[in-house]
Amino acid sequence: MTENTSAERPARRRADTEPRLPLGARPARNAVIAAGLIGYAWVIGGAAPFSLKALVGVLLPGAVLGVIAYARPPERIPPPESIDIAGFSYWIIAIALLFEWEAAAFRDGSPRWHPSLTDLVNPVLAPHPVKCAAIVIWLLAGWALVRR
Amino acid sequence: MSTRTITIVGFIAVVAALVSLEILGRSPRTRIPTLGEWLGYVMRSPAGRAVVLLGWLWLGWHYFAR
Repeated sequence: MTENTSAERPARRRADTEPRLPLGARPARNAVIAAGLIGYAWVIGGAAPFSLKALVGVLLPGAVLGVIAYARPPERIPPPESIDIAGFSYWIIAIALLFEWEAAAFRDGSPRWHPSLTDLVNPVLAPHPVKCAAIVIWLLAGWALVRR
Repeated sequence: MSTRTITIVGFIAVVAALVSLEILGRSPRTRIPTLGEWLGYVMRSPAGRAVVLLGWLWLGWHYFAR
C-alpha cells in the first residue's frame, strides 16, 4: 500500500528542503538535550508514587510528544510497505504469552507465590539512579516512536 | 522449585523470547520483522499511531507515576 497520511506530508516536505545532519554533528546541542533529559528524569524519579508531581511528570512528556507527533512531526523513518504475517505472528504469540502470564498473576492478586511483573520490576526500579535511567529510556523510546 | 520461582522463570523466558525475536529480525535473511519495523507498520494509520503512543504513555504512568 502506498497511502500517505497527512501527518507524514509535512515531514517529507521538510526532509526535502533541510538536509539531515549526522548524529553528533551538533555536540553542544546534543549535550544540552541529554542534560535536560537526565535532569528531568532525576526530578521526576524522586517524586512520590501517586503524587501530582509524578503524574504531571509523566503526562507532560506525553502531551509534548503527542503535539509533536500530530502537529509538527519530525522526519520519519519510512515504515515498511508490508510485513510478513507469519514472522509477525511470532511477536503476537510472545506478547500474548506475556499478557497472559501477567493477567494470571493479576487475577490472583499478585501474591508472593505468583507475583505480577509490576511487583517484580518495582523493587528493581526503587533506587533513584535506576529509576532515573529507566525514565530516560522511556523518554527516548517515546521520541523513537514519534519518529516512526 | 517454588511457584514464585516458576513465575519469575516464566517472565524471564517470555522476555528472552522477545529479545531473541528482535535479534532474529535483524539477521539479513529472515521473515521476522524487528520491533521498529512492525511498530512503524502499525503506526502508518493515525489510529494505530494513537494506540501505540497511548500504550507508551500508559507504561510510563504505570511504572513511574504510581
